[in-house]
Formats: sequence, structure tokens, C-alpha cells
Amino acid sequence: MNFINAALLRFVLIPSALYRKIGVNTQQLKVILNAKLIMDDRRPNTFQQIKKSRNNKPIRFATLGTMLLSALMGLLFLISFMFGKSYETKLTIYFSFYVITLASILIADFTGVLIDVRDNFIILPKPVSDKTFVVSRLLHIFIHVCKLVIPMILPAIVFLILNKGVISIIPFLFVTLMATLFIIFLINACYILILKLTTPSKFQSIISYIQIAFAILFYAGYQLVPRLMDEISISQYEISEYAGIILLPTYWFAGAWQQLYGWDNTLQLWLCLTLTIMVPLLSIWIVIKYFAPSFNQKLSMITGSTGEFLNTDKPAKKNASSFYSSMLSKLFTKKGVERISFLFTWKMMLRSSDFKMKVYPAIGYIVVVIVATLIRDKTFSFADVASQTKHGIFYTLALIYCSNLLLIAALGQITMYEKYKAAWIFFITPVAHPGKLISGSIKAAIAQFFFPLVLAIFIFITSLAGPIAIPNLLLGIANELLVTAIAAYMGVSKLPFSSPQQIDSGNTIRVLAAMTLGIVVAFIHYLLYRIIVFVSIFAALSFVASWYIFNAVSNLSWQKIYRTYNEI
Amino acid sequence: MKPIISLKNLYKNYGSRPVLKGIDIQIYPGQVIGYIGPNGAGKSTTVKILCGLITDYEGQVYVKDMNLRDHLVEVKRNIGYVPELAELYDVLTPIEFLSMMAELYNMNKDIALERITKMLAAFGLTNNMNDRMDTFSKGMRQKVLIISGLLHNPDIIILDEPLSGLDANSVIIVKELLSKLAKDGKTIFYCSHMMDVVEKVSDRIILINEGSVIADGTFDELKQQQGDKSLEKIFANLTAKDSLSTAADQLINAFNYPN
Repeated sequence: MNFINAALLRFVLIPSALYRKIGVNTQQLKVILNAKLIMDDRRPNTFQQIKKSRNNKPIRFATLGTMLLSALMGLLFLISFMFGKSYETKLTIYFSFYVITLASILIADFTGVLIDVRDNFIILPKPVSDKTFVVSRLLHIFIHVCKLVIPMILPAIVFLILNKGVISIIPFLFVTLMATLFIIFLINACYILILKLTTPSKFQSIISYIQIAFAILFYAGYQLVPRLMDEISISQYEISEYAGIILLPTYWFAGAWQQLYGWDNTLQLWLCLTLTIMVPLLSIWIVIKYFAPSFNQKLSMITGSTGEFLNTDKPAKKNASSFYSSMLSKLFTKKGVERISFLFTWKMMLRSSDFKMKVYPAIGYIVVVIVATLIRDKTFSFADVASQTKHGIFYTLALIYCSNLLLIAALGQITMYEKYKAAWIFFITPVAHPGKLISGSIKAAIAQFFFPLVLAIFIFITSLAGPIAIPNLLLGIANELLVTAIAAYMGVSKLPFSSPQQIDSGNTIRVLAAMTLGIVVAFIHYLLYRIIVFVSIFAALSFVASWYIFNAVSNLSWQKIYRTYNEI
Repeated sequence: MKPIISLKNLYKNYGSRPVLKGIDIQIYPGQVIGYIGPNGAGKSTTVKILCGLITDYEGQVYVKDMNLRDHLVEVKRNIGYVPELAELYDVLTPIEFLSMMAELYNMNKDIALERITKMLAAFGLTNNMNDRMDTFSKGMRQKVLIISGLLHNPDIIILDEPLSGLDANSVIIVKELLSKLAKDGKTIFYCSHMMDVVEKVSDRIILINEGSVIADGTFDELKQQQGDKSLEKIFANLTAKDSLSTAADQLINAFNYPN
């Protein structure tokens, strides 16, 4: 255990006498926390996963990595002090960053780290009292939050000392504490609400959707907030002038700081201070009083597969949605292994929560980027697209050539699956050309993530600009397919859903290469745009070339693939 | 008679650690082989080589006179493999999963579907056949795995601890099934730790330890060599370095501190 964990453990055990008074076995408490902290230290964070794929040394000092990352985040938050006239404004923005970031980190950690379902098998059967167990869990959460929060607020503390003096730190720490409590109980309430509303087996997938939403919100915040701020001249902006601002929790925290530091004594600031103190405390009380009793019991049911299994009396009905996918499979693939792989991948992409977690945020990011671009560019108009002016052509091409971002995200994930060892089925069956498994899965990704979007774009642009745009649209689509096919050919050696979730540096390089190639091709296309003859010829050539490359992928032999596998 | 499977001088290392040290086995059509050995003896490795999961081995493997290296795909077509509690794409339903397996074996879709439905029904899974397998218990998953190995009616069936997780009734079903398959002339390669089952189902027992074959013969032959004992005892005699009852004594004596 590293010195940070050791120090934090010693710190939380200071009031041991008090714990004993309420009936906690402090000996057991120390042992449990000690084990949890050691495990935390060996669990890789995203930062260390990259290193792990290179050398197989066991993960150590994950804590230090996490703290470093969170300090970097905190440094980034300092941007907020550039905005607005008053510290009320600056701190409102600061706390908005703080709340969103911490909440999005914690909501993931709560399932993974803090509510460890293995506790049910390991700790609960031992003679450990409920009180000891609950206190150990709370203290573990406290330690975990400390490790994130302390480095995160450190940059702001330094900034405040330099600009407002040492005394400004005391109200800041107090307000941050309240904000943190607010976040923790917001997440808790959110968990409890989900557990009340749905079955524990759906819990994990709902949490993952919330994480996706947070990730998008987070990204949107960083993209849009500075741009919106740009509109309303950065330094003269005053947030407290808005009437409804009192409804924003992060404004309460900023107002509370202002009241405690400046002692301005306005009604609004007093209200902020009251809310800052009352809301977190009240929410703790509500959670403990009304929700917590059934919480642990319900949580223990999240274990999933082994605990409960369906034993329905009625035979379940077959899914009707398979009609659409089987129609597409006939359109895109040859009969046999390729079609099997297409249908398999299609289903897995829709059902694997792992896959959805990694790919669906990309949909949100793309929407955010488009909105951000449109907000920034005041000169954009649909009339330009309709009459295909220079500006309109630029937007038409940008739309087509960005439409495969989603596909790229999906392709990066279709080889990965939590239970990747299930891929044994591809190795024991008489599959002559494993390339067909790969080409089938790539085509499924194209059909699910590229085809609908590109069809919508095609209809949208054609209805605006008329049939004149069709050759160019076809060329754009063909080029995107070609780029995808080339990227697939360069990178494939893995079967669908057959390798563990890891950051593959080769994959990143391939994505970057594919995007660069896409940009180059798009630029050439832009130059040729008005020469319809060329455009038509190139479109045909591009389609033929991608068909050819897909064929090459589907003929890959086992020799190419066995290099990556042996130990399934 | 020609052997249906023949392993010649089979070697395999994991890094610098040898797992198989020259295995030589000839298996004849219709035999039920009980392949036993302690943990880490190399049982699973042998099975994985036969099924085409491991390809970087030394030595030769022939199945139906075909060299495994040159005719991998054709060999796979002749083998059915039932792994022990293997990972599954469990967001699929049994019907979806088994249909996919059937198609990978190039089976006709309609025949496959009918066979799958019948086999699932025989195991009492009719009501669950369109449920996703992530809600299944261990035993239900194992039943699906057993079906996946038999579905294409292969001549050679390789079972790696197939009874794991099954309840007592299903164990009886599978044991009966094995003897019926043997009567039909299937060659069965049965890996297990359950000596009483191996003793009953197999007509030839091969015992390996630390990567080499140390006993090979019918149960009666083994009894003649080792004295009239149960297979469990014979196994212990041949593979345990120290007396097992001494180990049990040591475990019990661990309580005696501070005497």
C-alpha cells in the first residue's frame, strides 16, 4: 500500500473510540478497509491500461495515477476564472465543472469500486456486524472521494491564495465540502431511484446509459460553454443578474462563498448560503431515513447471472425485429459464414452493454460538434446548400465525410467483448476462411451505423439541392466505404467480439490514418466537385475498389489470425 | 483396424514450461476413452490441440488419416467439442446461439432448427429457448454447450468435464446418452476428474501425469496391474507423490497450535 492510502487509512481511523461506541468492530473495520485500498491500488485506471498492454507487469500505484489525472482536471477548471466580472460568476462556472466532472467519475466508480458485489460472498458470510460493514463502506467511499477531490481542488486553492488571500480558502473548503456531499447524495438518490423503479438486473444497463449521458454532457459543456460565453463578452458577464439563477445549485455554492468571504449581506447571497448548507444535509437525512434500509438488500441482488435465473412457465416468443437485419444481411453478404457473422455482430452490437457504452457516446459527441459548429458559423444557411454555392458545397462534403465517425467508433469496438473467450466457437468449427467472419462483422457495423445515417443525408441533400448533387453524394459515400475498407484491411487480424477490452495503440494509429486519408480524399473531392463526369467516373472506381478490398478481407486465411490467438 | 485418432510424439510448451512431453496415443473407432490426470497434467492442452484451438504444437496428429496441420477444417468438421463451463456469447438466446453453431458447421437451416428444438426440449429447456442466456444457471449453460457439441452428429465427440454444473437427473441423461452414442459407433474422448463416472462409461482409460502417459488400458487391465482397487485408488497410487492421508493429517494437525 502506498503512503497516501496508508495516511488516509490512519486518518479515518482516528475516531476509533467513537466507532466502537456505536457498535463497530474496529479490528475488522481496519482489515476490510486495508484490503479494499490494496485492491484499489491494483485496479488499472484508463491512464495505466495503455501501459499494461505493452508490458505485463502487474498494476501498482493506480492511486497515484488517478490523483495525477484528477489534478490535471482541476488545472483545466481554472479556465472558469477567466469568465465574468465577479467571483460569483467565476465560481458558479468553476463549481459547474466540478460537479459534472466529479459526478461522472463517481457514478462509474460507485458500481465498479465502491459497491463491490463480491462483498456478498466474501464479507457477509463472515461474522461481521451490519454496522461494521456499513461504516466500512462509508469510510471507503470517503477515502475514495478524498483521493479524487483533494488533487482536483488544489489548483483552485493555489489560485485563490494568490488572488484573494489565504483567508478565502476557509469558505472555499467549506463550500466544496458541501458541494461534494451534494454530489454523493445526488448519485445515491439516483441509484436508489433506479433500484426502486426497475429490477436489479436492469440496474447495470441503466447506470451505463446515465454514464453515457454524463460523458456527452461533459463534452458538450467543454465545447459549448466557452463558445456561448464568447457571445456575451467574457469579462463583463455577470451571472447574478439572471432572475432564475437561484435555481442553479452551483450558483448557491458560489454565492455562499461570496457571502462568507465578502460578507455582502444581500438577500440572494444569504439564500445561497442557506441552500448550500441545508440541501446537502437534508438530502443525507432523506436518504438515510427513507431509502437506505432497503438499499443494501436490493443492491445485493445486482449480482446478476448466478443469483437469479428465469424459469418462466410460458415459452418466450421469438423476436420479430430479426426481419430487418436478415433482409439487410441478404443485401450485403454472401450466404454462409459471412452472413452468419453479419447477423451475429448485428445482435451483439445491439445487446452488449460493453459495446454500447463505448460507441453510443460517439453519437452524442457528433451531435455536439455539429451544433457547436453551427453556433460558431453565423454565415451558414440552407439556401447555400440548396443552390450548391462554394459554401454549400463545403457543408455538403463536411456532412458526408463526417458521417463515418460513428462507424469508426463502432469498428474500433467490434473485436472487443468482456467475455471474449466465448470466441472458441469460431476456432473449433470448420470455418475455412476466417476473413469472412471479419468482413461479415464489418458489413454489419456499416449497415447499422453508417447506412441509415448516409441514407438520411442522401435524402436530405437531394431534396435541398436536387438530383444534381447525386453523383457527388455517391462519390462521397463510395470514398467513405473505401477508406473503411482500407483501414479494415490494414488492421484486421481479430475476429468479432474475441479480445479483451483494452486500449490498442495500433487501433488508434489506424483510426488517425483513416481520418487523415478521409480528409485528403475529401479535399480532392472538393476540387473536382463541379466536374460531374470526373465525379461519376471516380464514384464508380471507388465503389469497385472498395468491393475489391472487402473481398480481399474476406479471403484472409487462418495463418493471419492464429498469430493473435492461441490461448483462448 | 486403423486408428481414427492418432497422436504421435506430441510436445507442447507454454513459454519455457513443458506441458506435453511426447504423448503417443492411438484411438480406434467406437472406443470410449476416459482421459484422466491431475490438475495441470496436460489434459485440456491435448483436447485443445485436437479441436484446433492450439496450433503451435510439435509432433503429429492424424484424424481419420488426415494430418491435423494440413486438413484442419476437414478435421474440425468431424469433431464435436463440449467444453467445460466455457464462456458463451450469453446475450444471445439458446436458439440463436445453437443456430449459429449449426450454420458454422454448414448444416441445413431447417434441419438444424428442428434438431435444436428437440434437443433443448429433451433437456427441459423448451420454455427458455428464446431467453437470453445471461440469465441462465451453470447447469442450463452446460446443457446448451452439450447440445452445441452434438448438434452436427459428429463421428468423434470430445467432452471436457461435460457434467459440470448439471443436476443429478441431467447427469443420468448424459451418461445414458454417452452409452447410446458409443453403441452407435461414435468415438468418444472423455476428460474428467470424476473417477466413478470414468470407470463406468469408458472402455479404455488413459492416465497422464506431468505431460506423459503413465497408464493405458481397460479398467480391468489397470486393476490387474495395480491390484484390485477402485479407479480412484489407482489414480492416487500413480499420481500422488506423498500419501494423501498424510496430507489430510497435516491439514487436521494445523489446528493443533500451540501444542
